[in-house]
Amino acid sequence: MMLQDGSTQLLCLTASSGVPLFTRGASKQLPFSVIGSLNGVHMFGGGQEVVLSSCETEGGGKVVWRVFQDSVMLIAVSGGGHRAPGSSKEEEVCLQRLLENVWNCMVLVLGQDELVNVRNVERLKRDLRSCFSLIDQLLEEKQEGILGTLTHCADSLVPPNPSLLQEAVDGFAQAADSEFGCLIVHGRIATATEKWWRLAPQEVVLLSALIRSLSDSGSASCDYPVFLPQGSPTVAHRLLRFQLLPGADVCVLCGPTPSLHRAETGLVGRFWSPLVETLRDCLAVGERCLPGSVSLRPGVLALLLINRETRRSVSCVRTPPHHPLGDSPSLSKARCWELLKLFYIFSISRYFTQEETPCVSPEERAQRGNSEDFLLGFSHQPQQCYLVTEECKSYGLQTAQHQLFLLLSPSVPTFALRTAATQTLSDITAATGF
Amino acid sequence: MMFNISIDGASFSKNLEDFDSIRSVLLYSDLEPEWLDDIQKNGELFYLELSEGEEEAALAQATANQGVSTNHVRFSEKEAEIITEQNKKQRCGSRSKGEPALKRLARILRRKRRPSQRRGGKDGGKDSSNLSPPASILKNQPGQRQGVTVQQQQLKEVCVYLNPKRLAGSSTPLCDSGGLLEALLGVVHRPAWSRGHGEPTVRQEERLTVHGLIPNSPAIKCGQILIGDVLVAVDDVDVTSENIERVLSCIPGPTQVRLTLETVAPVDRGSAGDTSPLRRTKASPPVSQLVRLLWGEDTAELQMSIGHIPHIVMYLSLKLDSASPQEEEEILYQYPVSEASSQLKGVRGIFLTLCDMLENVTGGQIISSSLLLGKHLVHVGYWKESNNLLVIGLPAERVPLLYLQTVVADVVRTLKVMYGSLDSAFCKVDHTPRLDHFFCLFFQQLIQPSRLREGSSAPPPDVSGTLFLDGLPAVRWLTLPPEIKMEVDTVLSDFESSDFGEMSEDFFGLRRLYVILGSCLFYKSYLIANHLPKEDLLDVCLYCQHYCLLPLASEQRVGQLVIWREVFPQQRANGGSSSSTPGYSQPQGRHFLLIVGLRHFMQCVLLEAGGCASPAVGSPGPDCVYVDQVKATLLQLEVLEAGIEERLNAPPAPCLSCADWFLPAATARDRLDSLTSSSPVLSKLAGAVKGSSSGSRGRSLFGEKSRRSSPQRSLSDSGSEGQMDAGSGSGSSVAPGLSPHSTPDSARKLGGRRDSMGSGGSDGSGGSGGLFKASRMKHPNPFYLGTLKKTLTERETEEMYNTMKLTSGAENTLFHYVLMETVQGIFIAPTHREVAQLSGSIHPQLIRNFHHCCLSIRAAFQQSLPARGRRAADRPQSGGWGLGPVKEHGVLFQCKPENWTDQRKPAPTMTYWVIGRMLLEPVPQEFYVCFHDSVAEVPVEMAFRLSFGLAL
Repeated sequence: MMLQDGSTQLLCLTASSGVPLFTRGASKQLPFSVIGSLNGVHMFGGGQEVVLSSCETEGGGKVVWRVFQDSVMLIAVSGGGHRAPGSSKEEEVCLQRLLENVWNCMVLVLGQDELVNVRNVERLKRDLRSCFSLIDQLLEEKQEGILGTLTHCADSLVPPNPSLLQEAVDGFAQAADSEFGCLIVHGRIATATEKWWRLAPQEVVLLSALIRSLSDSGSASCDYPVFLPQGSPTVAHRLLRFQLLPGADVCVLCGPTPSLHRAETGLVGRFWSPLVETLRDCLAVGERCLPGSVSLRPGVLALLLINRETRRSVSCVRTPPHHPLGDSPSLSKARCWELLKLFYIFSISRYFTQEETPCVSPEERAQRGNSEDFLLGFSHQPQQCYLVTEECKSYGLQTAQHQLFLLLSPSVPTFALRTAATQTLSDITAATGF
Repeated sequence: MMFNISIDGASFSKNLEDFDSIRSVLLYSDLEPEWLDDIQKNGELFYLELSEGEEEAALAQATANQGVSTNHVRFSEKEAEIITEQNKKQRCGSRSKGEPALKRLARILRRKRRPSQRRGGKDGGKDSSNLSPPASILKNQPGQRQGVTVQQQQLKEVCVYLNPKRLAGSSTPLCDSGGLLEALLGVVHRPAWSRGHGEPTVRQEERLTVHGLIPNSPAIKCGQILIGDVLVAVDDVDVTSENIERVLSCIPGPTQVRLTLETVAPVDRGSAGDTSPLRRTKASPPVSQLVRLLWGEDTAELQMSIGHIPHIVMYLSLKLDSASPQEEEEILYQYPVSEASSQLKGVRGIFLTLCDMLENVTGGQIISSSLLLGKHLVHVGYWKESNNLLVIGLPAERVPLLYLQTVVADVVRTLKVMYGSLDSAFCKVDHTPRLDHFFCLFFQQLIQPSRLREGSSAPPPDVSGTLFLDGLPAVRWLTLPPEIKMEVDTVLSDFESSDFGEMSEDFFGLRRLYVILGSCLFYKSYLIANHLPKEDLLDVCLYCQHYCLLPLASEQRVGQLVIWREVFPQQRANGGSSSSTPGYSQPQGRHFLLIVGLRHFMQCVLLEAGGCASPAVGSPGPDCVYVDQVKATLLQLEVLEAGIEERLNAPPAPCLSCADWFLPAATARDRLDSLTSSSPVLSKLAGAVKGSSSGSRGRSLFGEKSRRSSPQRSLSDSGSEGQMDAGSGSGSSVAPGLSPHSTPDSARKLGGRRDSMGSGGSDGSGGSGGLFKASRMKHPNPFYLGTLKKTLTERETEEMYNTMKLTSGAENTLFHYVLMETVQGIFIAPTHREVAQLSGSIHPQLIRNFHHCCLSIRAAFQQSLPARGRRAADRPQSGGWGLGPVKEHGVLFQCKPENWTDQRKPAPTMTYWVIGRMLLEPVPQEFYVCFHDSVAEVPVEMAFRLSFGLAL
């Protein structure tokens, strides 16, 4: 077995000639012959007008192919291992998302032109290295609680006093000659200008990821050229990022002016120094994402709430109160995040519709839409679903505006799940207007 | 030879006192069975004969009139006469030792003659009293047409299936005289001038009198074209000798044509009924596509109609001899050959490469892959066995990826049961036609099931339902009242003991040919008795499912079904090699499956040769003695048919509700009248009330009230019309509502309805401890009554009591359920009839949805099972472990009535749950239930306990 249990390897080749551009993920790279044959079978099918899209093996191994813009072929291979067989149905959605994100991220950094019209493969290979940190972040998902790359909804944080921050962001962006500005706290968007929310959801998610990786580098500010995969794939904008406090960053997307220096010296202090205390409050919210005014029911272990209209999501995992009796070993935080993610994938691949971004062409939809054929088979609309497993109980519900995914402790009686879920939803929406 | 039956009969109690059944048994024993000629070289037999119609059902109690039945067609290409002869010789030693040809001929003649004699005896009185058959409105007998045609001559319409392509294939040149008429249709017509009377006829146009029939031609196969008939029209085009060739040559491809024939006086066939052609053509197309497919008639047309949908099965060799690269040598088997499938065949390299490579990469065999062919998404399932690879490609809209593995595994198991291993199935050239047939059935069932059932009375099948129910490792079980169950079991046991007549060793003083390992009995597609181990039962059932035998039997069309083949039961095949108990090994015998169907009954018997019976040599064909004994058993059981029918007609318990009752009235009101007149429930109920004159006013009133009183609408249902809340009431609270225009009569009707619909409820409320008694009477399950009772605590019993109350009575909210007993390999679901009674427009949708959802729920259970097995050992603590074992999974659905026209108000909605639960204690069960949202949550928990009440 060439691939480690549960690891995912990403292969990138040129679609026309099959020259490998890079491979990421997994400690040991797959041998070249395997990469060649994986690409070869897809190309062979293409010649016969058969598009190979995915493959599944016993033990949950999975291979997903996708060609972007007839120029770049991305292949994701995930090893099976401990995953229960059959769960890879869910895994596939994950890998499809991954490929999409990786492509968008390549466009974000390099621009579409360079990827589509490859003149010099060696140069492209070199240029692609600048994407690696972002791609690795997508592959490893090292930061817990960031689900945006999967949900394509921006991970958000509901600040205690949003209006003050909103005002500051709007003013700051305006002063920087930009309509696009946002405040990021703990890697989640606390507030953003209206235009920022008008960007395609995938772009918002990727920009957040980019900002996270930039702020991880530790610099106080930076000026980074970005292409917007949907909005302007060929013309670069400037992304200006300033660290306000450790864990809090403000960004704007702007044109040639202002210079980084001018913005840093002239604007940041003016707009944000009066708000330091507000920002501290905001940082205190932390990974809970919801202000203290929202109280969750005791049985809730984790939740993911998606606003389907604004394409934003909040998610949190509560460290369970320690049971003195200790009859059931409580779940670790990491496992909770994983279960929440798996339950989300389970629900959307079977019952709930994923919102498709309008810019996706029908062919692409067909290409990625393996999971949707099952959804279409229902003659009536699924509204809610729950799952009782050994470790926890999960409940998902969908309304016209929201999708809520809850993880509850096994001690909550099954018949109370629905009440718990509907009440949690109404509590949060009433308290925060999310 | 049948005396033994009557001797044994003493123990069979009253069954055998029925003189008719003995007579019919004797009748069978007396003559050469008609399936004899259909036995193939390898001993296999698939003989299916349809019985038509209602008359036969009436006669069924009296006799088994095998002779009258008309249609039987070879299952596969007919064997040469010599081989058949040989076969008979080597067939059982106990029976005929190669009779002289003359004697055989005499027998055949006798058989030919018999029907008329019998009919004479039976209907003699009737026939003499009125010579022309009585014109029955129901039966559309030929007599009705008399006004149209002249004299005694009558027109009849016959549908035959013609395939011009066959002509091209056959080497025989078109004979000059007969032309297409002879070659294509098989009708011999000798023009007058050639009949050798010397003088050429003046007439140019001549009527097409049938002077003869070509053997094995469509004309003779349909069994209705008689010598002496005159062919008048083909597909309503008048034909004469002048234009017939032109007309026939216009038939482009395989198709069905309708022939109009003028026949001479109809003899008295009309009274026999089953050959009355007009009735046949009007009631339904001659035979359903399914039966024709089973008969192995030309499948080209069916296959053509799905030619554009990509699907394929291939058996590929992974070991290629590179020294002699030949075109397509790696394809050991392939089906079908169509445009879409050739595209899949073209990319077989992908399948081979992936299978070869991925195992090394991800450490697991490849299971499936998804391809996009133009707009079609195709899922491909893999099954690797030794050095060969089975690849099955199916369109995604038919088989969701979630369930592909189950489908593939079932096919593989069926093939293994039939042939022992995939290699032996695919690698023999002479198996090819049979495999073609096998996979034709497979794809037809999956891709266009509605086409197969065309013309039959059964409701259109839903794909998800078929996938789900067939995919369960279980057989549909029908609970029977204990006395009937006991009777059935006794009869089966007596048969299985096989200590009578030629089956007993004493008879000839020889070792018996076969040991009966067990048998199971189906009635109208429900399993009613099983004496087979679970795995054997599943093997047998897979075979039956694949050949659609179960639905076939439920449609009242099987005159006689005899199937005989060697099988390789999986448990026994595998158990032989790795026997776990020391000192005991499975006898190394060969196994044979004998299926005999008579009308609604079908018995499957698993026989073993070798072991303690004499070893089988060569490929033995069916043994008449065994076939006859099974038939005799079935005939005995026919006495019980009334009791079983009664059970089928009994009100569903637990009670079921129709989804349409829960939707607010506006749309329903428009349909009300049609509902009352068409709904079987209501009309049946109306009929059930004694002396009720069903005036139209009374009926609609009744219909409305019954609809109103049934459900209690939940708060979540929007758009309620603000009408009564009386639904929650009992009968007494509804009665006042009736008063304005109620008559005692209609009140009584209401009472009648309650009785028939809610009898489960009255049982449940019958007082303390009444539940056990009541449900035991209703659902005898012989298996583990005792253990269940013991494990239930007092409190649980109390809850169960509530459960029954919950799901019965006026506010019953249960729509549908499926309960699978994993250990027994059976499942219980509402019977087809129970579902049909709850007609409605939304209910069928709901059931379809239920099944589709069950696919997903069961897939979730399945995925957690292996994990459960290894849980204790190496449960990884850090992630990467999926969702973990799933115990329960539920989905809430919302439905709206279709084509809601009222713009001002939002459409009313109804929400319902589909919930599945897997129980491991005390007995492994899977339970799927569908009920209305209005049930308070606590009872939902208890609804699962219903399963105990059900299984008792």
